Amino acid sequence: MAVCELKHVTKSYGTGPARVDAVKDISLSIDSGEFTVFKGPSGSGKTTLLNMVGCLDTPTEGDVIVKDRSVKDLSSRALSRLRASTIGFVFQSFNLMPVLTALENVELALQLAGLKEDTREPAAKLLSEVGLEGFERRRPNQLSGGQQQRVAIARALVKHPALIIADEPTANLDTTNGAQVLDIMQALNETHGITFLFSSHDPRMIERGRRIVSLTDGVVSSDERRDSSGGAG
Amino acid sequence: MIIPRLARRNLFRCPRRVILSMVAIVVGIGVFILGEGLVSGVTENLKVSSIESMNSHVLIRPPDYPEGIQHPVDELLEIDEEVRRVLDEETVAWTERIIFSPTAAAGPDHVRARAIGYDPVRDPEVFSRALWQVTAEKPDAEQNEVLLTTGVADLLNLSVGDTLILRVRTHLGAMNALRVSVSGIVETGFHNIDSMGILMSLSLAQRLIDADNPTHIGTRLESRDDSEPFAARISELLGDRAEVQTWQEDVQDLMGIQNIRRRALQIISAILLALAGVGMANTILMSAYERVREVGTLRSMGMTKQGVTGLFVFEGLIIGIVGSILGALWGGGLAAHWAVNPIDFGDLIDVWGEDLAFSALVYTRFSMGTVLFGVGFGIVVSMLASIFPARVAASMPPAEAVRAE
Ligand SMILES: Nc1ncnc2c1ncn2[C@@H]1O[C@H](COP(=O)(O)OP(=O)(O)OP(=O)(O)O)[C@@H](O)[C@H]1O
Ligand SMILES: [Mg+2]
Repeated sequence: MAVCELKHVTKSYGTGPARVDAVKDISLSIDSGEFTVFKGPSGSGKTTLLNMVGCLDTPTEGDVIVKDRSVKDLSSRALSRLRASTIGFVFQSFNLMPVLTALENVELALQLAGLKEDTREPAAKLLSEVGLEGFERRRPNQLSGGQQQRVAIARALVKHPALIIADEPTANLDTTNGAQVLDIMQALNETHGITFLFSSHDPRMIERGRRIVSLTDGVVSSDERRDSSGGAG
Repeated sequence: MIIPRLARRNLFRCPRRVILSMVAIVVGIGVFILGEGLVSGVTENLKVSSIESMNSHVLIRPPDYPEGIQHPVDELLEIDEEVRRVLDEETVAWTERIIFSPTAAAGPDHVRARAIGYDPVRDPEVFSRALWQVTAEKPDAEQNEVLLTTGVADLLNLSVGDTLILRVRTHLGAMNALRVSVSGIVETGFHNIDSMGILMSLSLAQRLIDADNPTHIGTRLESRDDSEPFAARISELLGDRAEVQTWQEDVQDLMGIQNIRRRALQIISAILLALAGVGMANTILMSAYERVREVGTLRSMGMTKQGVTGLFVFEGLIIGIVGSILGALWGGGLAAHWAVNPIDFGDLIDVWGEDLAFSALVYTRFSMGTVLFGVGFGIVVSMLASIFPARVAASMPPAEAVRAE
């Protein structure tokens, strides 16, 4: 079952001679439970594509279907609601709210998804699931990069989204912390069947994807699926 | 709820900036409340001073009586039984006064004074003695005694027990002179009397002007608001035999000036608050631009545009509410303090002319309505001021916002 489908999606920035086609006529289907990585050189369109899949941005041409709904037809408010309920984001620079504690950051996602009460317990549970038990009351500036990114994963995950989008989640982390974050993502994918869509430059991260989509100059240059063992193919 | 907490804590990220925009609101609201209290206090002072010094609730005097400090005695009041009966029935108290302008001389010095001959029993029932400060006994008419106000005593350098000569033109135009002695020095609290007044009993005044009839009748009614119907009734009875003046008519010109002052104050407060609003809009706008990526992240988590607008307006509202309340505490606190402990404008008042019916002790008027209005106004201004920057934040495209460094 497709969580998300791109149909002849083009995204352009600027107009006239200054026009840049960041993504050109891409069609792609993401199935539930996938662990897919987008790779490609800088400027190849990874972020642009992920933002459209995540309904943060809308295509210039073509259509994105998320949970059987065409984003073309959705108002800004409806897109917000869709993001709140179905999509979790993990960012390269973590993007936690600096004035909130780890626990509050996770609770915030639940409250934005419409949950009014009892946000504390599920948030705390998820934090311990990503190995942050005892760090609930710390603010982001009192956490290491790896810990912050794990809070971000918990924050993305807590509302049980259909899809988690992670744009270069390990780019700001050292190898060990990056690997640890990837381990967590992989474990969540394997045990809970959560769909992950991420991008990376790092070959060691890329090789852990079970589906590897290569982008070059805004087009898909290869799309390979590998068996679940994750070994080199 | 996390979102209000987020708004609250965001304010502490740049406390100095927040405090500065708050101070602007505090000043705007404080000046408004305190200024209103002062203007209202001065207005009330002018009314009370008119009533308690010379005019009373309704004043009766000869026709075409001049304004100001001249007090002719050519025309006296003729009060018939009918009028007397109405005065007895419809006033709480009424009293006769003879007001005239003697020249007071002591040694080489002399000064033109305003003499008030009053009925020692009835006058205090009409004109309050609450503010009077007297340094001696009541003047004894038999002994040719007078009370000097501080202004006259200072000018002639006289104290209790000294004597002076009063030169008076009598009712019929002859010259009269009498040596009188100072039984006491009085400060009535009203500038128009204290600057040049000599007080004596009615009988001494009658001898001095050589006539029995008064020049003025003062009245005290149940309520000062009854003055107009009563004045109309008396005026009808007296026809053109006398002139009837309510305290409202007495202070009419001053009230016009007071209204201008109040309007000027409102304009100044509005300008201060507008400036505070601009400062506040700037504060919120800066914090919006500093938090582009956070706004993008909130949007990615599903916060709507309205949600972002609400977050920033809420931050502005906190500044506005706290600032307005502090401003109200400051302005309202001072207004309430001076409503009990008057400000002494004694040094300033001499410059304002001798005939101003005004008490040097100015009480502010503390009005809860003004305080609440001020707080409400401050809150509305801060809300309006934060809407624009909040919308700027809300309209940042989320995809750009999450990319921002
Ligand atoms: N707001 C924008 N205005 C104009 N051009 C843009 C804008 N955002 C992205 N681009 C262009 O779109 C193209 C794709 O950018 P994108 O950020 O998607 O690449 P990327 O693959 O994520 O690169 P990186 O690996 O460096 O993150 C680039 O040529 C970029 O310059
Ligand atoms: Mg990118």
